[in-house]
Amino acid sequence: MKTSKILAMAWESMTQRKLRTSLTTLGVVIGVTAIIGLASLGEGFRLGIRERMQEGFELDVLIVIPGSFTAALRDPFTRQEVDSVRNVTGVELVAPLITLPDAKLNNQESEKLNAFTVGAVNFSEMTQMVSDRFVPLEGEIPDSEENDTIVLGYKTCFLNETTRLVNVGENVSMTMEVSGFPINKTFKVSAILVKSGTPGITNFDYWAFIPSKTMIQLFGKEAYNILLVKVSDPEKSDQVADAIEDVFENPYSISILVPIAFMRQVDRILNFVQMFLMAIASISLLVAGVGIMNIMTVSVMERTREIGILKAIGAKSRTVLVMFLSEAILTGLIGGLIGVFTGYGSSYALAYMFSSFMQLQQQDTLFPTPEQQRMTINPVFSPEWTMVALVFAILVCIIFGLYPARKAAKLDPLQALRYE
Amino acid sequence: MCALLEVKNVKKTYKMGKVLVPALRGVTFNVEEGEFLAILGPSGSGKSTLLHTMGGLDRPTEGEVFIDGINLYKLSDNKLAEIRLHKVGFVFQFFNLLPRLTALKNVELPSALAEDSEKESMEKVKKILNLVGLEERSSHRPSELSGGEQQRVAIARALINNPKIILADEPTGNLDTKTGLEIIQLMKKLNKEKKQTFVIITHDQNIAETANRIIYLKDGLIEGIKEAPKEE
Repeated sequence: MKTSKILAMAWESMTQRKLRTSLTTLGVVIGVTAIIGLASLGEGFRLGIRERMQEGFELDVLIVIPGSFTAALRDPFTRQEVDSVRNVTGVELVAPLITLPDAKLNNQESEKLNAFTVGAVNFSEMTQMVSDRFVPLEGEIPDSEENDTIVLGYKTCFLNETTRLVNVGENVSMTMEVSGFPINKTFKVSAILVKSGTPGITNFDYWAFIPSKTMIQLFGKEAYNILLVKVSDPEKSDQVADAIEDVFENPYSISILVPIAFMRQVDRILNFVQMFLMAIASISLLVAGVGIMNIMTVSVMERTREIGILKAIGAKSRTVLVMFLSEAILTGLIGGLIGVFTGYGSSYALAYMFSSFMQLQQQDTLFPTPEQQRMTINPVFSPEWTMVALVFAILVCIIFGLYPARKAAKLDPLQALRYE
Repeated sequence: MCALLEVKNVKKTYKMGKVLVPALRGVTFNVEEGEFLAILGPSGSGKSTLLHTMGGLDRPTEGEVFIDGINLYKLSDNKLAEIRLHKVGFVFQFFNLLPRLTALKNVELPSALAEDSEKESMEKVKKILNLVGLEERSSHRPSELSGGEQQRVAIARALINNPKIILADEPTGNLDTKTGLEIIQLMKKLNKEKKQTFVIITHDQNIAETANRIIYLKDGLIEGIKEAPKEE
């Protein structure tokens, strides 16, 4: 019998048992909805987290420090070393920083500023390096050549929400010790940076920046504690990090922080969680499969006489098998297609509800999160997952439909004809 | 020249629990092309078993059946299904139509199984429904048809693939006398006009008398054969 004819007969048989067909299909719809919903929401959630992380960590900026994060194993980087790093393939830009953790900043009224770290930098390099963060809220970022100017992080200027410590144009005095000698220097505030907000490595809210030129003059030498290295392709961060290590005589004496590695790890964890959830969702499809097997077994019993007639007038066992399997496949296909629609539909509805809920929650807090930083989930349409869910639905239907279909195909025509 | 259908020493024993029940105990006869043969016998004589064995529906315990020179029971189940599809047409006492299909679809079924094209199939169906006088009722389901009409549909279905032989198991057994006679007349007409070979099974002497030849079956054995006088 031609496949088109078999499918037409299967369809006719299904439409004549509407309630039964709809209930069997419903099982598949629920299974596929769960898989698609979780896949698209999970992917959306993952992208959301990735975006957050990209905002928190500049993924294209590697951080190179002498020694480890807890102990300095070697002297700070020299000018030659910085230049060597600049020449590494894949490095777009290097911004060396001199950190002065002991430096204390006071305003004109001798009140202490909230600066935890003072960094000596080249302002124009920093602007290029972290263009999203090194942006003035007030004032202007000075030319690197301009001496005795200071750029303050947002929170440095405030004691609390209402008390402001310093304004642009005012003077700030810095005290520190260099080789046991106290140094006192006055800087003019030229800019206050925008609020970073997102906690990350390159959060400058509690930092103060002075020109490295001023610092080198005070120190009498160039000694950098941190190198910010911008790579041209974040995906190749690992190779660039290896190449930077090779620049140094003892690669073990430096540490390189590769932000994309963190992200990959988080991605892996999210992947695992997503797969776990999808595995649970798949169980519902298996349950639907058992339902199909149950219904089809009953159907074979009910249609025993019909099978007998078909075989008596010349239908081969294979034809009967394909007839019954076609019904299972059609159930899988129709259930799968409806499931794909309801899956995406419900994931968009859930995402909308979740976003609205989050917004309500965020509005209730004392310090509302700015609009652009609110967490939202945008479900992702994935053709791959759609195909996987459809194929899985059809496969489950075939596997569970096979037993009853084989049972039907194996029936003896004469015994089937005599079946009451 | 060999006969259209040859039954050679066919024996069939059923197992009912631990007891072996012989249904056919060695039956031998031939059916010639264009013949209208009746097998007559009381219930339990093995008529239906014989008919099923002749049509490739039931493998005999012993013996052989040839249709068109093909030894049926040397064939696989699939090949046997092909014989039933192309060379044999069955008509049953209880019609055995598919209740969810219309008369037209029921008649079309063997043609679809034979993978005829839709056009070819429809042409054949229309012609045959016309032949059995059911062209007006083709869109009705079996439940909407009378017993006689249902049996006509069954005959049309048996005829669709132009089989060598039609085997009818008590075709009038579920019909009133008048309708039964109409069905027999239809079969006779097809036999006469189309030279279609028929073997009908009956326990009704009057029905059997309409045949060219009657085989009397009793307790699984042929008790006698009666030839009707040749028509002038």
